[in-house]
Amino acid sequence: MSAVKQPVADITTRGGAATLWRQRAASADESRTGNLVRALWPLLGVTLVVLVAPLLAPYGSTDINPAGALQAPSGAAWFGTDELSRDVFSRVLFGLRTSWLSALAVIAVGAVIGSVIGAVAGAVGGWVDAVLMRTTDLFLAMPAPVLAIAVVAALGPSLRNTLIALAVVWWPWYARIVRGEVRRMAARPHAEAARLAGVSRARLIRKHLLPGAVAPVFVTMSLDVANLVLALASLSFIGLGAPPPAAELGAMSARATTYLLDQPWVSVAPGVAVAVLALAGTVIGDRANRRIREGAAR
Amino acid sequence: MKPPAPILDVRDLRVTFSGRGGRINALRGMSLQIQPGEVVGLVGESGSGKSVLGLTALGLLAAASDPQVTGSVQLDGFEMVGASPEGARQRRGTAIGAVFQDPMGSLNPVMKIGRQVAESAGGASDEEVAAMLEATGIRGPAAVARCFPHELSGGMRQRVMIAMALARHPKLIIADEPTTALDVTVQAKVLDLLATTARERGVALLLVTHDLGVAARICDRIAVAYAGRIVEQGTTEEILDGPRHPYALGLLASRPRLDGAVRGGLLPTLPGSAPDPTSSVVGCAFASRCPAADGACLTPVPEAHEDGRLVACHHPGELTTWPDRAAQVIKAAVAESAADGLAARKAGDPRTPAVVATGLVREFDGRRSGMLGRRGPALRAVGGIDLTVPAGGSVAIVGESGSGKSTLLRMIVGLLEPTEGTVRLAPGPSPQMVFQDAGASLTPWMSVGEHLAERLAAVGMPKREHAAAIDRALHAVGLPVDAAARRPAQLSGGQRQRAAIARAIVVPPPLIACDEPVSALDVSLAAQVLNLLCDLRQQLGLALLFVTHDLAAARAVADEVVVMQGGLVIERAPTDQLFTAPSHDYTRELIAAVPEAVAA
Repeated sequence: MSAVKQPVADITTRGGAATLWRQRAASADESRTGNLVRALWPLLGVTLVVLVAPLLAPYGSTDINPAGALQAPSGAAWFGTDELSRDVFSRVLFGLRTSWLSALAVIAVGAVIGSVIGAVAGAVGGWVDAVLMRTTDLFLAMPAPVLAIAVVAALGPSLRNTLIALAVVWWPWYARIVRGEVRRMAARPHAEAARLAGVSRARLIRKHLLPGAVAPVFVTMSLDVANLVLALASLSFIGLGAPPPAAELGAMSARATTYLLDQPWVSVAPGVAVAVLALAGTVIGDRANRRIREGAAR
Repeated sequence: MKPPAPILDVRDLRVTFSGRGGRINALRGMSLQIQPGEVVGLVGESGSGKSVLGLTALGLLAAASDPQVTGSVQLDGFEMVGASPEGARQRRGTAIGAVFQDPMGSLNPVMKIGRQVAESAGGASDEEVAAMLEATGIRGPAAVARCFPHELSGGMRQRVMIAMALARHPKLIIADEPTTALDVTVQAKVLDLLATTARERGVALLLVTHDLGVAARICDRIAVAYAGRIVEQGTTEEILDGPRHPYALGLLASRPRLDGAVRGGLLPTLPGSAPDPTSSVVGCAFASRCPAADGACLTPVPEAHEDGRLVACHHPGELTTWPDRAAQVIKAAVAESAADGLAARKAGDPRTPAVVATGLVREFDGRRSGMLGRRGPALRAVGGIDLTVPAGGSVAIVGESGSGKSTLLRMIVGLLEPTEGTVRLAPGPSPQMVFQDAGASLTPWMSVGEHLAERLAAVGMPKREHAAAIDRALHAVGLPVDAAARRPAQLSGGQRQRAAIARAIVVPPPLIACDEPVSALDVSLAAQVLNLLCDLRQQLGLALLFVTHDLAAARAVADEVVVMQGGLVIERAPTDQLFTAPSHDYTRELIAAVPEAVAA
């Protein structure tokens, strides 16, 4: 390197400083992750609650409550029993767990697939971008429930297939968001500076472009939980979820509509459970949204 | 003799805002009087409170920041502090006009110019609107009135803003950085327009600016603000001849000068930084940066009037020359090596040139008319340019916006493919670039250390050597070692530019390209960064290619200046020759347009 004629030789290196920047850089990272965790902890809290809930159930999801069939709510059966003498309270607790975890799983899968597609489209550009985004548009052009119904119909009804169907219709939103953010970041001088610094394309995407999309993706994810709880319940309600005897809130509510006039609790209890879960998701999502945005502004 | 009642009378104005980390003291007891018809410049760096004064007088402080105002602002005898929003609005409508830095932001983008002007006049016929526009030097006013704001150039928009400010025949116009976003030749015209219209109509003008040169060009009187107070005011001649407050002196001294009196990295600078706006200041706010400070400066500062001139200083006039930089910070050795370096360059550097560009052309696709329309003719941003930067040399490319200077720079560093022509770079690490907006050129979520480590990894330096190299680079650019752990948002504007420079030099390349590296910085910071670039050039033997619209900055750092216009080089010459004997009319026009702050 002929350019280094006088490589700032008079400047002495102070030893202690060498490790200092590493430590402090790590702590800067921690505070960023910390903020995200703080914003999302209620979501984790609900997850813990629904995981623990079935342990509190007095009966298994398919066990018979000795009180008998279609009993009104009482001390022996808090939410009453259904036509097969199963304990509605216990089944609702199991159903809550299924709904919540399924919603999280679909969101996680959708966000990952969407992020990868969006990041590639945004960072590579050109025809790759055109092909990926037009495909995304194709998915977005069809109403999500209709598409999901078609996928489940093709694969056959089961919880796994419902989740696959929803993941298939859910990723395009994330692809859109991530592509937009990546493009926005790529237009900033910092991306050009990184290119001039000799950073590889993979690292450019991973370290300089994609992190810019993390906050908006998490915001969308947190707001999406409630939507997915509802979408899952709807599919299950029209018979596209796990087949009986699985404890699934939508299906429970649907099957019990027969008894709606005489034994309303059998249908209403799971319906209220869906409403409560969706409401919790909305409140938590809003709060996380606010906190993440504040954190990003800092 | 009793002076006439001032049109604007600000007395002991204090304004605080709520901000992160406590309340921000924007104004700490500012007083300023403007007589009818007077043209006054309020000069200060960012954080001096200069813009807050204008906004307070207009009654336009943003309610969201919870401003607390004490003191008095009398606008034509009407007290604006504590006035009802309705009362303030009425005064604002009739007594005062405003022109801001960003005319695009002040104009309604979906309303035609003519209607906006008519509206600001409180209703006017097409003929009246045309007359108002014509008065601001707009040719074809009827056609302009039918345009939307985006169809006009920046200078035209600012003329429209001036027409709107004048529409209600105000007694005072507040112009906040009205020309900062404009090209230098347009800037000169808009400034002259403001001054002549104000004088012709007997309207008082308060020109708020960071640039002493801009104020000196048109103002009768100049007030210098620092940390929320006026530290000195006097007639323009008095201030330029010999400021009596050390800050005013330092501000004047640190401006790069067009006459080339100070150069080669030896611009005087103001050390340190302005006081934390959230802290309260008891004594003189400038004491920590002042060469003349002593114990007395820790006590409240008197405002001493001397023959109509105000100086808020314990030792007014004690300092008559700002200590030059060699005495101030740098060991004599550096100055010597600078002299050596200059001598060496005169003799000619034997190394291969840092860059040789031949026949560079860059065309951009023409705009499509409509979705299916045919593309317009290709736009030729750079039309065939040869450029050589000798090893260790320093070349400045000056020109106005649209001259193609940034496009040329981007082709040379490899961010843009030339349509035709070749760029041959010296062997060694690829050229690095320093951007105008240092904050945007750093990745927001990465620490400074990570930025530098990444550059080291890219050239294959083993990881265990990174820390020492980073340490060395930070030291070379004058950043503390713990800056490595900070993210860009945790640094000040000047520190961010230093961090960006540290990344550029952590692996010293043969060439550093700078795209307006100081135009977003305050005057005193700009001087420091220009010095730093010159120092690094000496120490590391690297060449600088410096794109700027600021001729004074070009003179301070470059050996050779290339003047561009319309994608072509219209003149190139060694720096001194270009400034003393410009051979092209456009060059002469550019030089004449630079606002200078040198006493006549």
